[in-house]
Amino acid sequence: MSAGELLLRAEKCSIEFGGLRALEDFDLEIRRGDLKGLIGPNGAGKTTAFNLLTGVYRPSSGNILVGGQRVNGLQPHQINRLGLARTFQNIRLFKGLCAVDNVRVACLAESTPLISKERLEPLRKRGGVSAAVANALDATNNYYDWWRALLLTPGFQQEERDLASKAERLLEVMGLSHRRDEEARNLPYGEQRRLEIARALGTRPKVLLLDEPAAGMNTREKADLMALIRQLRDRFSLGILVIEHDMKLVMGICEEITVLDHGETIARDTPEKVRNDPKVIEAYLGEPYRISDPREARP
Amino acid sequence: MGVSPSSGLRGWTRGVAPLALAVAVLSVLQLGLNAWDSYADGQAALGAEVFRPDFLVYLSSLVAVNVVLTVSLNIVNGMTGQFSIGHAGFMAVGAYIAGKLSFEVKELAISGLPHAVSDQVLFTLSLLAGGAAAALCGFLVGLPSLRLKGDYLAIVTLGFGEIIRVVVQNTPALGAALGISGIPQHSSLFMVWLWVFITVLAARRIANSSHGRSLWAIREDEVAAEAMGVNTTGYKVRSFVVSSFFAGIAGGLFAHFVPIINPGSFTFVKSMEVVVMVVAGGLGSTTGAILAAVMLTLLPEGLRSLFLAVGGGDASLAQKVDQVRMPVYGVLLVVLMLVRPQGLFGTKEIWDVLPKWLPRLPRAPNSPPARGKEAA
Ligand SMILES: Nc1ncnc2c1ncn2[C@@H]1O[C@H](COP(=O)(O)OP(=O)(O)OP(=O)(O)O)[C@@H](O)[C@H]1O
Ligand SMILES: [Mg+2]
Repeated sequence: MSAGELLLRAEKCSIEFGGLRALEDFDLEIRRGDLKGLIGPNGAGKTTAFNLLTGVYRPSSGNILVGGQRVNGLQPHQINRLGLARTFQNIRLFKGLCAVDNVRVACLAESTPLISKERLEPLRKRGGVSAAVANALDATNNYYDWWRALLLTPGFQQEERDLASKAERLLEVMGLSHRRDEEARNLPYGEQRRLEIARALGTRPKVLLLDEPAAGMNTREKADLMALIRQLRDRFSLGILVIEHDMKLVMGICEEITVLDHGETIARDTPEKVRNDPKVIEAYLGEPYRISDPREARP
Repeated sequence: MGVSPSSGLRGWTRGVAPLALAVAVLSVLQLGLNAWDSYADGQAALGAEVFRPDFLVYLSSLVAVNVVLTVSLNIVNGMTGQFSIGHAGFMAVGAYIAGKLSFEVKELAISGLPHAVSDQVLFTLSLLAGGAAAALCGFLVGLPSLRLKGDYLAIVTLGFGEIIRVVVQNTPALGAALGISGIPQHSSLFMVWLWVFITVLAARRIANSSHGRSLWAIREDEVAAEAMGVNTTGYKVRSFVVSSFFAGIAGGLFAHFVPIINPGSFTFVKSMEVVVMVVAGGLGSTTGAILAAVMLTLLPEGLRSLFLAVGGGDASLAQKVDQVRMPVYGVLLVVLMLVRPQGLFGTKEIWDVLPKWLPRLPRAPNSPPARGKEAA
């Protein structure tokens, strides 16, 4: 179905929390241009799946590959740098920072390091003493970067300006320019959710993971969000995975839906087929949703 | 968060101009002071008694050291939201390294330079050595403890402060409990306030840079910061190293204007004093930290002088005042937590809270705006 470049892949990932198997043999593939959904009842393990993919937890078994590279055990910021960005179910903005600063934190500067990454990588790969030297040089890079901030070098000023304009652009894309200087905690709920997406985009992701982006939004905001998610995928050529309880939204935009229940994947198919899968109906959707489906309700 | 007086400047000028200006102003002040001193000397030779500002210079040096300590601790406790309570330990490292170095080389002079200049060069070198040593300690202390979530930093820095004190107390080469006296008194009004300026400039520039924003982000939500690609451990360690460096510098300055340094000057009480100043000023506010440091240094000194005057030169009363200092700090901290938990200014700077009708400095083109309205 999808033919884009493979960006993210999970192979038989499992994790336990003190005896509770929160996720079992979870598989996933996200390619460029994909828009996939992840649904399931409360406590099914959806957020846990996100936490595994982004490195918050380490899978007890299985593999996660980002762009072909195995990332098990990498730290969340490293995985993020490889092109995986997320939003949080319970909004986690930097509440005391203004909207534009929230995005600017994520738009980490593309600074020109003292010693280039290309020269460091081969050293690091050699291991042993060479790797230690590479790490030390990398640390030197970081401290050098602080010096540039302290001396306000022209190059640094330019970077800061680029960063600011990039953040402004993202605010504009998400329709938040008028909130630029507002503290994040003072934004209405729907705008906070959009700001979280803007922030995630700031990290220049290849894959975007959205955890219940429509929660707490009204019907109009939800409709706008659906259009926006599609638009983001096309504009930034992303692969997107959405967790969402709003069936209209998920069924409306996703091309493939994975259904979790008690950590197990009970279905994976097109919205059409998932909607009519008896196992899914029993575990999650229930009868009311079937009836409310427009085509089914028609006599 | 920021207005910078040099906002109209471009390129390298913008980075260097404030420092050049500070050097110029402080040089003029220092030269004036020197001129007054030689005038006073001349008068004294004629038998006339002239006011000498020695005590004022000493007091202002004490203030300066505390400002450097507070502003630097604010980088860790305020901006990054970590909790370090061992700043006196890093100050001690700087004081002893710089002091000992100056002590060892006090007979030396750099050939080709006038004595006064050579002294200042050597002094600066020992200061930097002290700062570097403190920064290295900061790295060694910070790396293991900042990796972990939770309040390990508080415990480890507390331990570090005590270890340094005990080590010094038992090292004869460092004067043990008696301390080192006879460190050349190279410190000057120019030098201490120049370092105050450098510290404040560094703190403000960090706060206004992408690095500073990463620190704010860690303070606000560490999990989210990490998820947005911020290497939280790296940033925490770096802010801690910078903070330790300036604590070392403060110690080095201190060692060059007090007659004697001994372990008693770098106890837990000193660390708490700095923490109280940071909290009083508002965690995250550089100008708040400055104001709190100035006030909380002058207050006890003022009271001491007052009681000395009242007691007719009887030192016991003034000593008593000194002893109640710590309990007073404790009470102050509790009252502050109850009445104004965000400190004097919260995370804002003084220009954010000035009355609206005051004229404003123009905003730097790429400096972030004030961090919104504070919930009153
Ligand atoms: N850190 C943790 N420690 C212990 N148990 C956890 C942890 N994180 C998640 N769980 C458990 O794992 C299960 C799955 O949780 P998860 O948050 O992934 O559910 P979810 O599918 O996102 O549900 P919801 O729709 O309510 O967001 C739950 O039973 C939860 O209690
Ligand atoms: Mg969830």
